[in-house]
Amino acid sequence: MSRITLTDVSRAYGQVKVLHDINLDIQDGELIVFVGPSGCGKSTLLRLIAGLDRPTRGKIAINGQDVTRVAAADRGLAMVFQSYALYPHMSVRQNLAFGLENARMPKPEIEQRIAEAARMLEIEPYLDRRPGQLSGGQRQRVAIGRAIVRNPTAFLLDEPLSNLDAELRISTRAELAALHERLSATMIYVTHDQIEAMTLADRIVVLRAGRIEQVGTPLDLYNKPANLFVAGFIGAPRMNFLPAAVFPGSAGATIGIRPQHLRRADDGESTLKAKVMLIEQLGSETVVHGDADGHRLLAVLPGQQGLETGEEVMLAYDEENLHIFDENGLRAD
Amino acid sequence: MTVSSPRRVLSGAGAILMAPVALVARLLDPPLSALQRVGGTNGMAAFFLLPNMAVFGIFVLFPLVINIIYSMTGGTALFLTDRTFVGAAQYQRLFDCRSYVDPKSCTDDLFWTAVWNTAGFVVVQVVFMVVVALVTALVLNRDLKARSFWRAVFFFPVLLSPVVVGLVWRWILQRQGLLNFGLYELGLTPVNWLVERNWAFAAAVGVSIWAHVGFYALILLAGLQAIPKDLYEAAEMDGTRPARVFWRITLPLLAPNLLVVLVLVLIRAVQIFDEVYVLTGGGPGTATLYLTQYIYEVGFASFLRNPGLASAASILMGAVLIVLTLFQLGIARRNEMRGKR
Repeated sequence: MSRITLTDVSRAYGQVKVLHDINLDIQDGELIVFVGPSGCGKSTLLRLIAGLDRPTRGKIAINGQDVTRVAAADRGLAMVFQSYALYPHMSVRQNLAFGLENARMPKPEIEQRIAEAARMLEIEPYLDRRPGQLSGGQRQRVAIGRAIVRNPTAFLLDEPLSNLDAELRISTRAELAALHERLSATMIYVTHDQIEAMTLADRIVVLRAGRIEQVGTPLDLYNKPANLFVAGFIGAPRMNFLPAAVFPGSAGATIGIRPQHLRRADDGESTLKAKVMLIEQLGSETVVHGDADGHRLLAVLPGQQGLETGEEVMLAYDEENLHIFDENGLRAD
Repeated sequence: MTVSSPRRVLSGAGAILMAPVALVARLLDPPLSALQRVGGTNGMAAFFLLPNMAVFGIFVLFPLVINIIYSMTGGTALFLTDRTFVGAAQYQRLFDCRSYVDPKSCTDDLFWTAVWNTAGFVVVQVVFMVVVALVTALVLNRDLKARSFWRAVFFFPVLLSPVVVGLVWRWILQRQGLLNFGLYELGLTPVNWLVERNWAFAAAVGVSIWAHVGFYALILLAGLQAIPKDLYEAAEMDGTRPARVFWRITLPLLAPNLLVVLVLVLIRAVQIFDEVYVLTGGGPGTATLYLTQYIYEVGFASFLRNPGLASAASILMGAVLIVLTLFQLGIARRNEMRGKR
């Protein structure tokens, strides 16, 4: 069992406060993703949980036990670093064994754990190679293997896919999801990529400027973003934001609508008139950059649309897909 | 009135400063273009290398050849034309020994005394120098207060002339020097640091380390800083004790730099001369007489100088240094290849 609780956790470097009173309860076996733009404090938060850094204020507990001042090694956590942080002068086998040797584990048990992890991650053929002789994907597996052999309370993953190419990232993402399923372990995953967050997470924590903006399941965040920031951050392409006045009869100050929720209008539908500024034909869909009453508008239309730049197009939407925000940028409905 | 932006002012100043350069470039262009048409690209490379090669030839290659010729001549005359050809006689004299480990059994006992003194100095100084440089680098790599200041403090002696180093330490270590004054003031018995054999050797080793350790520590510090911080954090997560971090992570990853330092220290130790010469003059007796001092004294300073013998000894020393240098170049190349991988 591994439940991690953060209570009023803050971190400041001198006068600069990078995390503000973070309160979060991470459930046993949960894959929780910290997401946010660069500098939002997500990696700092992970390092505080890992014990590589200490909070200026607040408390971190694992399974109810306060570990705020406990050394990293004694928290029972394992971390996968963005750079993998594999020891370059050691073979893969030695890399996997290093932490276990530190704990003075008997050799046969170390061998057994390495064999198990190597089989699970399909790195058996590379056990006697050095990290420098492996591809990025293989190194990534070794880094995960090094975490797995320690049989940790929870896994901490700091942007583990960011050094992989796009194709490998997609396949490794799926493998990570499968691994989480198999191990049923608590995982805390840091990324700035919202697609990674959406596909992997049980719950997502959206951070901005050291504060939690919203915590929820991926679809919660997509369907009911708590504020303009979350609405804009989750979902690709980004949600359109228009003044409420553009939508006849709408309440609130700002209305958000996702580009996928716009379609070409039939007669009698609620519509927005937009002038086509740019068309991106992707084959399976068409991305239309438009101008609606002087406001930038993006629409993702299905298939290949016969539209011309400069043409005026009527775009329809369903009322239930409108997101209404008040003058403070908070969700109004 | 228009106000120019700082960028425009800077670019204007740059144009003015570059004008003479541009003029020279324009003047040189026609003859250089013509030269390239005649000699091709390789010819141009040779043309630009020529001044450097000439300097190298006159000041390095030519003296080396002359030195080899000198080593095969005899007599005390300085000019080559006045000297007699003796073939390998000088080398034979240097190697004329009943036992090489017993300098007294050799025709030129001073040469072998210097050889064994140098060997002893090299072994002790190299070991201590590398260890002290490593410890210094490890300390300077920590999050110290005023870290840059401490780095400067350790590097400062490197900038001093070896003669100044020798003089300063002689003032400190001589019979009525600063150190003995301190000992006397503390009620302790003064020591003849530069007169007693073992203390003089220790002083020679210590002073040479003090003078050069900053340079080697700097090379090791660069190596330490090149080790990714992530590795130490991974080790921390792995629950690695500090001593094990040092032996299993820091030391292996610092090995390429350590090897470079080791060979550089070795080369320098074999060449030891100036600061020790000023400090002890090779004494007491011949206790700190090293090979370079032997060559200098036989060639230039002794009453019956023998430039041929000094040249022969310097050629032998040169051969040892060439082997060490090739070793060092080999290491540098291997590191470069490893860096590319």
